[in-house]
Amino acid sequence: MEIFNVFGDLAGGFGTALQPFNILMLLIGITLGLIVGVLPGLGGTSAVAILLPITVIIARTSPTSAVILLAGVYWGALFGGVVTSILFNIPGEPWSVVLLFDGFPLAKKKGKPGVALASSFFASFVGAFFATVLFTFFARALADFALSFGPPELFAVFVMSFATLIGLGAESPAKAVMMIGFGLLLAAIGFDTITGQPRLTFGQIGLLSGIGFVPVTIGLFGIGEIIASAEEQGIGYMEKLSARVGFADILETIRELRKRIWLVIITAIIGFWFGTLPGHGATAGSFLGYGLARQYSKNKENFGKGEISGIMAPQAAADAAAVGSLVPMIALGVPGSPTSAVIMAGLFIWGLTPGPLLFVEHHDFVWGLIASIYVGHLLTFLICLAAVPLLASIMRIPYAILTPFIILISIIGSYSLNNSMLDVFVTIVFGLIGYWLRKTKYPLAPLVVAVVLGDSTERTFRQSLIASGGSPTIFFGTPLSAALLTLAIVLLLVPVVRAVRGRGRRGAGDVDNETVATAID
Amino acid sequence: MRPYQVATAAAFAVLAAVAMFDSRAGALVDRTGTQPGGIGAGFYPFWSASLVFLCACFVGFRAWVTPTPGTAAFQDREAVFAALKLIVPMIIATTAILWLGFYLVTALYMGLFARSIGHYRWLWVAAIMLAMPLGIYATFELGFRVGLPKSFLYDAGVLPF
Repeated sequence: MEIFNVFGDLAGGFGTALQPFNILMLLIGITLGLIVGVLPGLGGTSAVAILLPITVIIARTSPTSAVILLAGVYWGALFGGVVTSILFNIPGEPWSVVLLFDGFPLAKKKGKPGVALASSFFASFVGAFFATVLFTFFARALADFALSFGPPELFAVFVMSFATLIGLGAESPAKAVMMIGFGLLLAAIGFDTITGQPRLTFGQIGLLSGIGFVPVTIGLFGIGEIIASAEEQGIGYMEKLSARVGFADILETIRELRKRIWLVIITAIIGFWFGTLPGHGATAGSFLGYGLARQYSKNKENFGKGEISGIMAPQAAADAAAVGSLVPMIALGVPGSPTSAVIMAGLFIWGLTPGPLLFVEHHDFVWGLIASIYVGHLLTFLICLAAVPLLASIMRIPYAILTPFIILISIIGSYSLNNSMLDVFVTIVFGLIGYWLRKTKYPLAPLVVAVVLGDSTERTFRQSLIASGGSPTIFFGTPLSAALLTLAIVLLLVPVVRAVRGRGRRGAGDVDNETVATAID
Repeated sequence: MRPYQVATAAAFAVLAAVAMFDSRAGALVDRTGTQPGGIGAGFYPFWSASLVFLCACFVGFRAWVTPTPGTAAFQDREAVFAALKLIVPMIIATTAILWLGFYLVTALYMGLFARSIGHYRWLWVAAIMLAMPLGIYATFELGFRVGLPKSFLYDAGVLPF
């Protein structure tokens, strides 16, 4: 019977998602996402962050429309980043870096830019579709389970999400820990919500209300990325191919897709699962997909020379991971990727609390969002097939117009939230910090996740201790929180084990100093 | 990259030390029963700052002792200037909003980029300087009802922004 409930809820969600205003929001979001996806200087996360304050106005009428707009940007950026990778050999988004390996060679060396683009669009669509089906059935079950969580379990979930950011995938665990600590510190600025005492304000009245995560995020991603991009302007030669996706390209791609349908489905499922792990999202998913496709391919030697599996697998995994990253956000209140962290910030601003209660208290919102993922990906797929030449022409907008315009929009975004110039200065300062952290290879995702989750983590930590009369044993008092915290500890030990193994190899003369430093850091 | 890595880690260590000093009063678990759950307001920031401090010392030390030849922070002087060309006007423009308001700053900022980076003719520069603030005014002030900072000319009743 449960499955019929899901179908009924989903049908209701389609009723919401297909309302003309929501379709309009979706189209605006997708278009903006495609534009920022194509532009190398600005990412999907930045665009979502910049748009957040504007969504406050939309959310007054309907939070569902607001989240559909932001999710549309995410889907658009996922597809848009593909175009520059394949046609210009420049990744428009971090998750499209992997398409440089086979997408550009297929377009240039093999002279099939249309097939390269269509392969990626089809794989994105199929990957996202399977991931959304999993989302539809998986998120509700997870949310129902999470409804039984008390403060210790929630605290364990937050710790686990931080541990995942450190233990899996972080190039430099020590820097990731540092960024988490820094994010928690930023979140602690202002009045303590339990005792009412001011913290880390240094006598500044403006800091009493704390530092908002929206200005911080706009700075780190919007301004920081644009400065980094400005520095790289003119560095290196820019390849430019022109292309459109013709009917023959589509037919050839469908034939190729049929040969690889299981690869696409399997990488989509793995990408989805990977996306649900906090802090990863599409970028890690795309590399995972590529690695899997290459590992199990009979034609390993073709990879790097325009192999279609090297386009389809990472693209399916990336889109599936992006969809998957919304699952913990909706079901647990833990963002699965930097972009979903920013969308989650939006939910807080609109007065919604992400987490299991969303399914109960804002049923229409959740199912409207889920249905919009199906609709959004279909629309993005169709727009992309039809509008490749138009998307490629976005690259021709002059730098002298685009860059200052993006900065001005970022300033409007941060100011309009509280009509405060302090927020604008916070954005600029964090723009500079974000730029510098990028240069010195500090990961920004742990910082953003910690800023967004900082308050909740502290609140659940202290609520647990208040409930137990100050006894920390409460965190191991239930099997679930004990298991999650144990798993978190194991994940935190992963970099230590890696470092020890690295030292062992160095002793054997296999690894140089730099590699060991990377392993430890 | 080594000096930049060491300097960045040192900056974080100093920042963390300041935060630790500021929240030192609530650093330890309260056994007297005056704080709910035995945890005061300073506990969480103190230990978050400690985490940053320890990691910053570790990262800084590793960067100091590990040779990483050929990894400069910037490609060349041109790259530094390219970043500064964006950063300096951005900081000046943001500060100027306090006096000139958002719209006049927008006109000047867009004009500066159009002329100095885009090398457009003055006619185009003037068109951009006029069109951009008006477009933003129409979209945000009239459309979204977002009131942006106004200039002294607005206070004097000369301009609508």
